[in-house]
Amino acid sequence: MTLESLLLAGKGKSLTSFFSLSYLLVVLPFSVGLYAITPKKWKKYSLLFLSYLFFWLISGSLIVYLFITTLSIHYLAIWIDRLNGQQKLAAAGLGKDERKIVKQEFLTKKRMIVFLGVVIHIGMILVLKYSAFFTTNINTIFKTFGIGITLQIPKYLMPIGISFFTMQALSYIIDVYRGVIKADDNLGRLALFISFFPQIVEGPICRYSQTADQLWNAKQITYKNLSYGAQRILYGALKKYVVADRLNLLVKNVFDQKQEYSGPIVAFAAICYTIQLYMDFSGSMDAVTGTAQIFGITMPENFARPFFSKTISEFWQRWHISLGAWFRDYIFYPVTTSKRMKKITSASRKKIGNHYGPLLAGSVALFCVWFSNGLWHGSAWSYIFFGMYHFVLILTGNMMGPIVKKFNAKFHINPQSAIYKGLQIFRTVILVIIGELFFRAKGLKAGLKLFKKMVTDFSLPDLSKLELGIDKYDLIIVAVVLAIILFVSILNEKGICVRDSLSKKPTAVRWLVFYGLILLIIVCGAYGFGYKPVDPIYAKF
Amino acid sequence: MERLIEILEDIQPDVDYKNCEDLIDAHHLDSLAIISLIAELEDEFDVTIPAVEIIPDNFNSAERIMKMIERLQED
Repeated sequence: MTLESLLLAGKGKSLTSFFSLSYLLVVLPFSVGLYAITPKKWKKYSLLFLSYLFFWLISGSLIVYLFITTLSIHYLAIWIDRLNGQQKLAAAGLGKDERKIVKQEFLTKKRMIVFLGVVIHIGMILVLKYSAFFTTNINTIFKTFGIGITLQIPKYLMPIGISFFTMQALSYIIDVYRGVIKADDNLGRLALFISFFPQIVEGPICRYSQTADQLWNAKQITYKNLSYGAQRILYGALKKYVVADRLNLLVKNVFDQKQEYSGPIVAFAAICYTIQLYMDFSGSMDAVTGTAQIFGITMPENFARPFFSKTISEFWQRWHISLGAWFRDYIFYPVTTSKRMKKITSASRKKIGNHYGPLLAGSVALFCVWFSNGLWHGSAWSYIFFGMYHFVLILTGNMMGPIVKKFNAKFHINPQSAIYKGLQIFRTVILVIIGELFFRAKGLKAGLKLFKKMVTDFSLPDLSKLELGIDKYDLIIVAVVLAIILFVSILNEKGICVRDSLSKKPTAVRWLVFYGLILLIIVCGAYGFGYKPVDPIYAKF
Repeated sequence: MERLIEILEDIQPDVDYKNCEDLIDAHHLDSLAIISLIAELEDEFDVTIPAVEIIPDNFNSAERIMKMIERLQED
């Protein structure tokens, strides 16, 4: 790719990979350089300019969707804020009961505005992302029932990152409605919050209260932030280049080709894909967090060592944290605390006890969360299945809780023992890998076929005749780097910040580690001849 | 406060509610317990607890829960 083609609107899709040379050697140095030379009071505008330039390069004219989102939530939120002011004036000096009536009147108006915001944004995403999926399914139903109508399948171009910035926009408008934050009358600050360039491609999905002020109160670049940020990006590059991309060929061969592999190979590919996805996505998050840190901005962490989880429920509190938190705050609790659900909870608690009583409302909410979660990842039945798979697992976990407790007590099993916890972690990892198999398969049918192979065909393949696109040297390199990442994760789990510990070491040791990391990526990274650059997996969502 | 602790003990026994300050952070109360608790608190204290109030800060101790109830009663 030439520099000229990179600078054409919508032609810079390679920039969506934070480890592409065009990002690391052009975008990042240019952005940091421009930000550094801009006078302090103008730095925020340089970040805004860079963010819009970045989005224009990766999306071209589709930038119009970003404008629509930003402008609509800006004015809708100001409208809600004005109603809040009017409500205060109307309620001043009134008694408690009259205040309640006034509150209810204004609440209805504010709800209508939020509803309008949700319709605009969810509507936009439904049309752009899901209309082809819905139309295809309607056509299938028509065909099944012999109805001679075939709807034309629409095709729309969708801007990269729409699933992420739409979630951020919705959280902003809902938080203003809830009174958690005040509407921002500064359009520039809101626009920067929505569009900040490292996070717009793959998240994390930030809340206004987490990043908006940090971004707008732009700081000078400091040596500490620059070095910590660069280290974090390097760590992400290690995950992406040495592990994720090296496993890509094997994963592609097993999942994308028509050739059938035996069960052990499918199981191995499912493990490799789970590792690839984690390394790819968490590596990208390292790059996002590291880039933001260079500018002095602390992003919320999107991963917290998910493979140390003892249950599926805990796994989702540690994996793609910002998405899980979004569904919890804007779907799970609103559904469970709705009037009807609260009545059901109260009544069922009295009849079936404290554990199973709230499970009914909880299950309805969980279903909504996991259906949305599956659909959010993509417009295909395999994604909906992926969501439902986790819904069933979490629901089963909740239902089995008291039974497992009784069983442990009866047989004197200590759930706090290391062996018990280790087995719980092992079980969770296996369940996650099965879920990822369906997630990666090309459609639900293919997923079911692969799963069947995995659990029924135990024939050992002749490895010398297999063309998997990976050899034993690849596996050794991957294993060594995974061991390094595991070591760092164990330290992090114990509350030790590796970068802080490293910064206290002598300069020679620090630079040795730094250069060692760079050398490892250069020597062992999967790039150059024989390797095609692999697009970041989550950017397509 | 006593009534609140009774409700908490009914929903999730074996926790020292008088002294515990990390009910959510230490996973003493899970999401199902929170759903139960909210339904009970609303009935008992005649308040409406909106989803926005369900944050660890409001539920990490009996004292914090009581403060939230008192604030909502004043609204």
